[in-house]
Amino acid sequence: MSDKVIRAMSADEVAPGGMKAVELDGNEIVVCNCGGIYYAVQRRCGHMNAPLDMGTLDGTYLTCPMHCAQFDITTGEALSGPVPPDLGHETLPPVLREYLQNIGMMMKHVRTESIRVYATKLEAGWIQIVL
Amino acid sequence: MKTDTRKKALHYFFGKVVGPLGFKFTPDAELMDFLLEQEVILQGKHGIPFCPCQPLRHDRARDMQIVCPCIPFHRKHFDVIKRCWCGLFVHKDVLDPDKLPQRSPKEVGLE
Repeated sequence: MSDKVIRAMSADEVAPGGMKAVELDGNEIVVCNCGGIYYAVQRRCGHMNAPLDMGTLDGTYLTCPMHCAQFDITTGEALSGPVPPDLGHETLPPVLREYLQNIGMMMKHVRTESIRVYATKLEAGWIQIVL
Repeated sequence: MKTDTRKKALHYFFGKVVGPLGFKFTPDAELMDFLLEQEVILQGKHGIPFCPCQPLRHDRARDMQIVCPCIPFHRKHFDVIKRCWCGLFVHKDVLDPDKLPQRSPKEVGLE
């Protein structure tokens, strides 16, 4: 079966260092512009499905906005898992403390998986993605 | 998660922070590789790349002061010894870190 190539967006829609989300054939994808080189990765974080386009792109490293898990967008590899939250010195109400403890207990078992990468092509100013 | 790529990522991020602070990675490549590997292990365990040569006290305020690169928190001492405690970073003008004198914070009047 041959790969399907789909035109995703115009190259000038993603500024250098920027990201833009797009849905193609039911696949949620983020297009990243790393100094004129375009990469495409799955939009959902490999940790807890947060939208990665709302995160931070630094070089080829993408940090998730939710728990700061990091990925290398050239390979999709998960580089680090969630960063522990800072609850500060405030004393939380017991109900909230218990709730957060339960969440923390469940989250301990959540693994950070690598994310899928898609090949990209730049043709006549359009970014095309190979599905 | 592969250790080598995580080491590369830490190297990239640390480089951006320590350069403007007047520091660079140690020219001792073997030491740098070893220390970054220890930080990758610590990051895997705690979610944060703590300094590999300092003990964790499980006191968040204190522990956050040993998150690598910890230069801004201990800059007075590091500026005197021209390197950070574990030796991952040295002042930009240092060519041979082995020749740097070891001086405790007490010796230089910081304690």
